Amino acid sequence: MSNRPSIARRTLATPLILSLLLIAFALVAVAAGSKPFNQTMIDIFLRVTLVVGLYVFVGNSGVISFGHIGFTCLGAYAAAWLTMPPMMKQTLLPGLPEWLIAVQLPYWAAAVLAALWAALWAAVFGKILMRLSGIAASIATFAMLAMINTVYSNWENVTGATSSVVGIPIVRTIWPYLIVAIVAVFIAWGHAISRAGLKLRAARDEPTAASASGIDLPRERLIAFVVSGGVMGLGGALFSHSIGVVTPDTFYLGLTFTTLSMLVVGGMGSLSGAVIGVLVLSTLIQVLRWLEAGVSIGTSTLALPNGVQEIALGIVMIVILAFRPSGLMGNTELNWRRAKTADPGASGQPE
Amino acid sequence: MNRLSADRVTVAFDGLTALSEVDLEVTPGRITGLIGPNGAGKTTLVNVLTGFQKPTGGAVTLNGTNLSALEPHEVRRQGVARTFQGGRLFRDLPVIDNLEVTGVGLGKSRAAAIAEAEEMLAWVGIAPLADRIAGTLPYTDERRVAIGRALMGRPGFVLLDEPAAGMSAQEADELAHLVRRIAGEMGCGVLLIEHNVGLVLELCDHIVVLDSGAVIEAGDPAAIRGSEKVRHAYMGTAADTDLPVLEVME
Repeated sequence: MSNRPSIARRTLATPLILSLLLIAFALVAVAAGSKPFNQTMIDIFLRVTLVVGLYVFVGNSGVISFGHIGFTCLGAYAAAWLTMPPMMKQTLLPGLPEWLIAVQLPYWAAAVLAALWAALWAAVFGKILMRLSGIAASIATFAMLAMINTVYSNWENVTGATSSVVGIPIVRTIWPYLIVAIVAVFIAWGHAISRAGLKLRAARDEPTAASASGIDLPRERLIAFVVSGGVMGLGGALFSHSIGVVTPDTFYLGLTFTTLSMLVVGGMGSLSGAVIGVLVLSTLIQVLRWLEAGVSIGTSTLALPNGVQEIALGIVMIVILAFRPSGLMGNTELNWRRAKTADPGASGQPE
Repeated sequence: MNRLSADRVTVAFDGLTALSEVDLEVTPGRITGLIGPNGAGKTTLVNVLTGFQKPTGGAVTLNGTNLSALEPHEVRRQGVARTFQGGRLFRDLPVIDNLEVTGVGLGKSRAAAIAEAEEMLAWVGIAPLADRIAGTLPYTDERRVAIGRALMGRPGFVLLDEPAAGMSAQEADELAHLVRRIAGEMGCGVLLIEHNVGLVLELCDHIVVLDSGAVIEAGDPAAIRGSEKVRHAYMGTAADTDLPVLEVME
């Protein structure tokens, strides 16, 4: 038998370092002790969850998905259905089945069910979509997002259509969001080092040779799609508890663009890239927000005109991608000693 | 008897006939050569035999079972492996992982796939390359890794698409030795597609010659060497030239 260390031992450093990084961010929020900053941290952890969820599919399969925020929408509404007080559901969403109106679960239990609900729909959509490749697959995922958005924007009795669904219990402490972000990182790592993850990454780079190696590409893509859809749904559930209100358009083009750009800027070829992309761009967004709000220097206040945030963010992204087309992390993962090759299953030394 | 057969295989697209009623048979332990000028349809035939191209007529059978409707990964799982022109390795992965992925693709656990990969690298004679990133290998080593990868799971049949392309005479000799071992020691049925006609004549038990999508000759090396039709196909004229010269012409 092989004397090579197990894949888990060789690569465990990556999720551990990323988790420590997230914990460090959380501790900064605690030390700062301000409520708005707390909310900023919650937003960051939510983005980490979503971008890592996106990475599970996009990073490993190489297929850009414009549709994943649809699963976040499914998760967010599922969490709303499961956690709102029955009285409010009766008034706002009378079309829900009786049992669903009557039920009121704790947020964490609802979040798990919301993740499974999103994963179920990922399996349904994925069964059809995963036979497609390249731009056709990407456009099809976008069509899926549009379909989900259209259904949720019009099914008045069940989703409240375009009006806000209020009354979702708000969770203000940062810890559940931190835990979910870390769970997402470990799920992504677990998938990446699994047989399914290894096969999918091989197929990403050489689909023809992968088929000739016995790999059933649509099946491996479907597995990643379902896992990734589940993580997106989990993120959606927590998202709904972070603001206490959901509308279909919260989970549409804006969030799709934000999460995809964070993944691309971080480096979609690596899990570390997914997390680093969120942390770097979120920090930048926060700094620009402060500057827009105005910073006092002595007696005068320096403030950037409104709208500079979006422009500056766009410029920074273009500059990063111009100099590092494969993102900040390129194809590397964080490791105790040094960056190593992107494949969490790889152990070789580049020469 | 075990065999991989193409029976009257035809491939036609957009009014072009790439293969026309081609018959070919690969049997265990024997090396079958497939030669022909550029554009003769050799790679198309390999694609048909491995599920990458659906035939528009005829059938591919493995021990009597029709493979024509199967997807490439299903054909591979039935024990028909192939290599590609240009290697097509998983370039970002270490050599050992290239083989491991195939073991896993064939249904093994990771540990079992790694164990077999190590064994296979040693068998092919490239164990020291195990941890090298595949994309950094010299050309000839790439070819050997590709062959090692194709041999994972001990397939009954392996189709080698121009394994000697770009190799020196000495490297081609080493390759010939390896191909003989694949047929002899492993008992694999080998289909060798090669531009190096000299190598094919030296190695193969049986040779099929394609030209313009049709079989123009089939037989043992002596028969092929003496065939006027084959000479004509290569030279465009019935010149009085012995076949090995074709190697220079390629």
